[in-house]
Amino acid sequence: MKVYVFKRLVIAGVTLLGMSILIFVLMRLAPGNITDIIFESAGYVDEADRRKLEAELGIDKPVAIQYTRWLGEFVRGDLGKSYRYDLPAWEVIKPRLPVSLELAFIALVFSIVLGVPAGVISAVSRGRPIDYVLRVLSLAGLSMPSFWLGMIVILLLVRALGWIPSMTYVSPFENLGANLFQFLLPGLAVGYRSSALIMRITRSTMLEVLREDYIRTAWAKGQRQTFVVWRHALKNASLPVITLIGIEFAFLIGGLIVTETVFNLPGVARYLVDAIQFRDYPIVQNLVMLIAVVVVFANLTVDLLYTWLDPRIKYGNA
Amino acid sequence: MTRPRSLRSLLPFAAALLLLPAAPGWAQTPKYGGVLVTHPLSAAPSLSPHEESTVAVAQQASPCFNNLVYYDPAKKQESVDTIIPELAERWSWQDSQRTLVFFLRHDVKWHDGKPFTSADVKYTFDAVRGAPDAKVKLKVNPRKLWYENIEGIEAPDPYTVVFRLKKPQPAILPMLASGYSPVYPAHVPLAEFKNKCIGTGPFKLKENKPGELVEYVKNPDYFVKGRPYLDGIKFVVIRDRSTQIAAVQSGQLDVAGTGWNRTNAEDAKKGLPKLVMVETDSNVNDNVLINFKKPPFNDRRIRQAINLALDRKAYLVGPRQGAATFGGALLPRPSGVWGLPPAEIAKLPGMGDPAKQKAEAKKLLAEAGYGPGNPLRLTVSTRALAIYVDTASWMVDQLSQVGIEATLEQIETGVWHPKMTRLEYSVALNLTGVGIDDPDAQLFENYRCGSQRNFSGYCSEEIDRLMLEQSQTTDPKKRLALVNEIDRRLQADGARPILGWGKQHWVMWPYVKGWAVHENSIYNVSRRQDVWLDK
Repeated sequence: MKVYVFKRLVIAGVTLLGMSILIFVLMRLAPGNITDIIFESAGYVDEADRRKLEAELGIDKPVAIQYTRWLGEFVRGDLGKSYRYDLPAWEVIKPRLPVSLELAFIALVFSIVLGVPAGVISAVSRGRPIDYVLRVLSLAGLSMPSFWLGMIVILLLVRALGWIPSMTYVSPFENLGANLFQFLLPGLAVGYRSSALIMRITRSTMLEVLREDYIRTAWAKGQRQTFVVWRHALKNASLPVITLIGIEFAFLIGGLIVTETVFNLPGVARYLVDAIQFRDYPIVQNLVMLIAVVVVFANLTVDLLYTWLDPRIKYGNA
Repeated sequence: MTRPRSLRSLLPFAAALLLLPAAPGWAQTPKYGGVLVTHPLSAAPSLSPHEESTVAVAQQASPCFNNLVYYDPAKKQESVDTIIPELAERWSWQDSQRTLVFFLRHDVKWHDGKPFTSADVKYTFDAVRGAPDAKVKLKVNPRKLWYENIEGIEAPDPYTVVFRLKKPQPAILPMLASGYSPVYPAHVPLAEFKNKCIGTGPFKLKENKPGELVEYVKNPDYFVKGRPYLDGIKFVVIRDRSTQIAAVQSGQLDVAGTGWNRTNAEDAKKGLPKLVMVETDSNVNDNVLINFKKPPFNDRRIRQAINLALDRKAYLVGPRQGAATFGGALLPRPSGVWGLPPAEIAKLPGMGDPAKQKAEAKKLLAEAGYGPGNPLRLTVSTRALAIYVDTASWMVDQLSQVGIEATLEQIETGVWHPKMTRLEYSVALNLTGVGIDDPDAQLFENYRCGSQRNFSGYCSEEIDRLMLEQSQTTDPKKRLALVNEIDRRLQADGARPILGWGKQHWVMWPYVKGWAVHENSIYNVSRRQDVWLDK
């Protein structure tokens, strides 16, 4: 187990290193840099001033030096300074990170709470009206982009109730109730799509498991339906579902951009787009790296959960 | 003992009352209190207007600052006659308009309690004009050009400031009245204005969360007694227009509309008819950039053909949905001060019978060697924002009607201006906002040879000479005649064809009073000390 975890950590490190090179190169391939944007948008370019600012920001150095310097700083926990806001990058990112994580977490909770029971019910009720209804709902969830759904929800709310969730962020430490209320709809909008996917996977794996001999034996022994379905069948059907949940969490983090914009939540995803537009390299690089770290470790956690769910899995022999 | 005033002596006051603008709230008795919530055009990259060139900063930083002089918020049209004192109690032109003396108020304090003096004024405008002995240098100085005629600034005593000009320039006063010309405190490091604000203005900064919100509270020591009426102002950055509309309809915003088109405003009002919609002209124009440095666009016939092909009436009903005014290089009258007379505007290229103009365009193209067998192929570049793309798409269609095969290129906002500055395009659709409705700002920035905002690369020594001449002309009538002459020549040259001047829209709750809107500027009206809530 220890060897497995060690190997996975090494792989995670290599993945992150690859990510760092990729994001660094991609940012430099995009035309223009922050000094172009600052000076030329202002319609006044003093070449000496521009060179001075480039030197101040360190973007006058060769790309390889810029990269090694940034990577060294990132490893040491120094995220540099936002070019655009002239503030330490961490100061800009820190308040936004919990917003996106909370939204992703709430969306994930919704997707599990809605998706898993719906999948189980659909599998158990195969061919019955409830199965068709749930499958149609899941198909709708997969077809509707979360931002579109969010927009429709906002429009319906304002038309019907003259109310929408708060446009200014309420911290959970300030008012937990208001915070949860604010995240409820965006969480639902984002989570609905994932729940549809989870529902479909749960349904198909459940259908497979429900055909197994040990399930038939359990029925034959007269065990209660809830016990057979939720205890025996679901536990054995859950491995692919857990894998999917891990992947979905990563997808959620990356897919929050438009939902955060529609619900005006000041999260990292929305901010990332602004930072890309302004070529605010420290913010973009560090944010993408932080998201990559979260994704890599979410996947690692899911893999480690396998042994708990299925003790037959031995990582050392894998 | 004082004698009661006769009715005759009260006549001027009565007349003044009759002339009060129709803006809601100006004639009622204001109420104190409440926090007004609105959304800015976009997040403010800083709170330092001198270092920025987006109206988003003028909107969000103006409540914190004051100018020496400012445009009267209650007068809808900005002109030299509507400039009122702010930090200066009064001013005086001397030495045949080569010296401008400001006499400053004695009762002004910065938000940190330090007294405001002439040293602050000298510090600010020495920095902005890039004086060799300036105490600070602005990192980016977009309006250095405005103040290049200043020879020196003196502060002979704490409450007098003297601006000495190289040549007479009546426009210097309007420039100082712009929302981009606040006075900074000499004792606060310039870098702090990136995220903080110490001003003398009606509101003190409470919180600035970059990219999210800027919140102000009332300045209890504000030198204008009885102002501001509000307890605070909050600018909440909302990027999505649908969300902005929903936010004003749900009452989370008191005022919305910056950056909206007519459809957005009408949608908001349709959803909640009690909302008040205000539509006025603005000094932001849709203009066509034709790269003078790039063949075949250096051929006057090609430029004329493109200009003629763009039917202005179709532009008005199409991309602008009826919300624009036709004009030349300067905002047309009556909203603008310096525009061409309406009769001349009606004769500008693109304004006539579309069929005839398109036929003429085809003829010009044929003369230049282009026709059905050899169509002119070009790319129409534009900024990847809806308000640009709508008009640029319409342009592509209009050009195709004269046989020009045009394709649309959307350029990301971040690299839009750099590409224009470097003339890396053939034909482009651009939007230009002018800080003040004055020829010096508009002409020098956008048409002078070598100006970095002269995105078309147009250059005429004769026009440059006329520009200088009008700038130094102190008689307003003579200056207007010169400006009109320049405008005529620019339009004839196709220097930067203007499609039209867009209108601005605001939607607000009926209880919002005193929300000033100017017809010829979006930049110089955001102090908001007279706004109040009738709740």
